[in-house]
Amino acid sequence: MVEIRRLLPRGYLFTVLGIAVGVAGLVALGAMAERITRFIDGGDRFVLGQISVAGEGMGMGTGFTAGGLLRAFKIEQIARVPGVAAVQGQVMLPLDPTTSQFLTLTQELILGVDPAVRMSNREFRELPVRDGRFLREGDRGVVVVGADFAASRRLRVGGTLDLATARTFRVVGVLDKTLTAPDRFAIVPLDDARDLWLRRDPLLVQVFTGAAGGLGRGDLNTGAAVAWAAGVDPDALARRIQAEVPGLNVTIPGELSRLLRQSTAFFSALLFGIGALGLVIGGLSLSNTVTAAVFERIRDFGIKRALGATDGQLLREILGEALGVSISGGLLGVGLALAVGTLVDARGDGQQLFLFSPRLLGFALVFSVILGALAATYATLRIVRLSPAEAIRRGA
Amino acid sequence: MVVRARGLSKTFRGPDGRPVPVLHGVDVEVKAGEFVAVAGPSGCGKTTLLNLIGLLEPPDAGEVWLDDVCVSHLSRRAQCPVRGRSIGYVFQSYLLIAGLTALENVLLAARYVGRPRAEALAAARVLMERLGVAHRSDHYPPQLSGGEQQRVAYCRAVLNAPPLVLADEPTGNLDDAHAGVILTELRALCRERGTSVILVTHRADAAALADRTLRLREGRLQPQGGEAEP
Repeated sequence: MVEIRRLLPRGYLFTVLGIAVGVAGLVALGAMAERITRFIDGGDRFVLGQISVAGEGMGMGTGFTAGGLLRAFKIEQIARVPGVAAVQGQVMLPLDPTTSQFLTLTQELILGVDPAVRMSNREFRELPVRDGRFLREGDRGVVVVGADFAASRRLRVGGTLDLATARTFRVVGVLDKTLTAPDRFAIVPLDDARDLWLRRDPLLVQVFTGAAGGLGRGDLNTGAAVAWAAGVDPDALARRIQAEVPGLNVTIPGELSRLLRQSTAFFSALLFGIGALGLVIGGLSLSNTVTAAVFERIRDFGIKRALGATDGQLLREILGEALGVSISGGLLGVGLALAVGTLVDARGDGQQLFLFSPRLLGFALVFSVILGALAATYATLRIVRLSPAEAIRRGA
Repeated sequence: MVVRARGLSKTFRGPDGRPVPVLHGVDVEVKAGEFVAVAGPSGCGKTTLLNLIGLLEPPDAGEVWLDDVCVSHLSRRAQCPVRGRSIGYVFQSYLLIAGLTALENVLLAARYVGRPRAEALAAARVLMERLGVAHRSDHYPPQLSGGEQQRVAYCRAVLNAPPLVLADEPTGNLDDAHAGVILTELRALCRERGTSVILVTHRADAAALADRTLRLREGRLQPQGGEAEP
């Protein structure tokens, strides 16, 4: 504290603290808005990065792409549609199939993928692995978990995880934070995911064991991710797949993105409100503090005018001080918000509430400097209109 | 510097918004090197007269001339260098800036007139040494006694060697010993430098040091040679 006091213009410590509180509020609210934006953008990038296909009869209760059965021959038919570059059969299941998990944005999912097939999503060719490794061809009984999934269960590479069916998986990798859906994924080999599905769904077991219609393990896919060849319009290709391969539920990337945007319109409005609120609260706090600090020194400025200071000299002097105070308060506020945000995010449930992006921090600092300068200019222009004697009297 | 004020009038607004006339057409002339005291009862307009002559506020009517320049009618911008170079102020309540050290307060007088800092610093040290406050250079005003603060304020007022010094009750908050230091300095200014000094005071001993005393009553100058006010 002693060091900070030496760096600041004397008498401005509480002004700096006042500004810091305002900026901290602005940064904290902005960081929450950034977090929501990143989540929504991540979802949008995901749906725009692939054509998602499910078997007919898709239901809501078993995951984003699950519900119907996408049989192997259908996957082969899709692969033959002109413009398709690759098809990756997948099993996607909700970790907890109770109704309370329906349609939540933070749903935890089990994703079964075939490590031998390259990821079909253009935006997520590879998921970033923080610790350990991703799945390899031939893996069984292992799992790669998302960052939030790992944090909420204190999972580390080498640990074990029971996936709802009393089957234990060994953790071989933990993903880096993506701030979107994969953070809450448990990714297992496709065959393991098929086993989990069979164990969980008695009806499916009966159908499968009865070998109705010649059903094999390769038919056990809840959906598929389709990649398109370079230069192909994904929306047009999705419609072509729908037309050429009957009995599918094909999502049109563009339409799904639009639907996602519509369904997250509330969150968009909410984050706009949070951002606006942050600007108003932080802005008012900052400008009020700077203006009050200048008016508080009105007597000093009267004395300086009596000593011959011109309007320009006073303005430069006050602006210089306001700049120093605003930058100090801004930096302190950013530090305060970072400390509180880090503390809150470290509480252990794996949910990250704040995203302190460089653009947010930069904006907060620039915002505080500009607003501080404007407030100081306004206060100075009010003061220089007074005679020196009047300024001294008012400040007495 | 010859100071001439002609027909100075000033009216303020009272708390109820009604006009409160303070000065009514006051004429004052002070010759170069002259020490003039202004006396009168509280509220008679002494401080207002000093403020108008010192360009600290504009008169409603009348003019202030310094030598051959009508300074009261200069633009706000043009009045700044006149205040900085030609007029020094000593106030009853010292009016030092609390966030600056004693030395920084003294140097403030040089900052706004573009005087080289090294030269001003040397002059400030000499002045503070003479007034016995050099050892308090790095102290802030709240750490100084009333007498020390007034001596620092005096150093600031005369740092630029202004030809006119206006002192508004400079000894009002001081004991006799400290008051004597300030009054002796003001007297010496007139004799040694030819500075014109206008001193507002209630003290009879202060007025006695002056070459002449102007008496104000209800905003008007009393004829000279009348009875001294208590």
